[in-house]
Amino acid sequence: MYGAALHRLASAYEADPDKRRDLLQEVHLALWRSLGSFDGCCSLRTWVYRVAHNAATTYVIHQRRSRASAWLSLEEVGTLADPSEGERAADRRHSVDRLLAMVQQLKPLDRQVILSYLEGLDAAATAEITGISAGNVATKIHRIKNLLAQRFQQGGHHAE
Amino acid sequence: MQNDEICNLWQAQGSGPAPLTLEELRRKGGKFRSQIARRNLREYVVTALMMPYFGYFAWTSRWPAMRVGNGLMMAGLLYMAYQLHRRAAASDAPAEMAWKTCVAFHRAELERQRDALGGVWKWYLGPLVPGLATILGAGCMAGFQRSTLAGMVALAASGVVALGMAWIGRLNMRTAAGIQRQIDALDAATAG
Repeated sequence: MYGAALHRLASAYEADPDKRRDLLQEVHLALWRSLGSFDGCCSLRTWVYRVAHNAATTYVIHQRRSRASAWLSLEEVGTLADPSEGERAADRRHSVDRLLAMVQQLKPLDRQVILSYLEGLDAAATAEITGISAGNVATKIHRIKNLLAQRFQQGGHHAE
Repeated sequence: MQNDEICNLWQAQGSGPAPLTLEELRRKGGKFRSQIARRNLREYVVTALMMPYFGYFAWTSRWPAMRVGNGLMMAGLLYMAYQLHRRAAASDAPAEMAWKTCVAFHRAELERQRDALGGVWKWYLGPLVPGLATILGAGCMAGFQRSTLAGMVALAASGVVALGMAWIGRLNMRTAAGIQRQIDALDAATAG
């Protein structure tokens, strides 16, 4: 049911395809092992994303403990030049790759918020998954929209 | 490209490999549990192998200080093994992933790592210090009783061991401080 979404989530946390498969298995396993604790206090979708993000975050913390300082916030990513600035092709695959490369640089919290946004979750659901306030989510989504506008819209104008 | 289009593009990505079947999940779950069990077993085997070694010297050494030191090493190893077992059991809590929000879970995970690394003198290196210090001290005394050169060699060896332990401790403390900075950054990012 959430197979494709979980695959997208795993690809945002792990760039290497072999390791990504391991991560995906870890996520599935975490969902399976915590299945007994689902008591209906939130929607199934919220529960799935929360467990999946927590499992993926645990994975990246253990994989990249020494390189955690290399993670960037939304603000910091926004100040960096897009490495493929000169290739603003309309190629859809290329756009997804650029998006993935950007997301993979983010700190876990910012990564969780941007993934929720890209998956079409609203601010309330994102707040419920991440645990940050709805106001904080709204601020981050505003930054995400600006960032995506800078990176992916022709001419670089900001979309609000 | 509009933001909605970017979201659609994101969601239109391929589904990747086929999801795991229930049987694969069971197998993976079993593998995970046996990995943990193997890791714990390895620690217990190392401890079990070291115990007769130190026990032998604690029982047969001619020098009382050596007997005491080896006895202290046995006690320290047992305490260390108990702490490893206790911490391994505490970290195996998949249910937390479901009821803790991402921020709370991430913070708890970082705190657990910070405490394990920051408390390394209490539960990992510390318990071995009394035994090691007694054995090395006794070795130095025995060395100086034999000759000055033997005493100096024993003293130098003791210094190397002490420096090695201090280096391991410092490395762990530095990593713990780095994790604390991550916790502070997470708190700052979630404030408001």
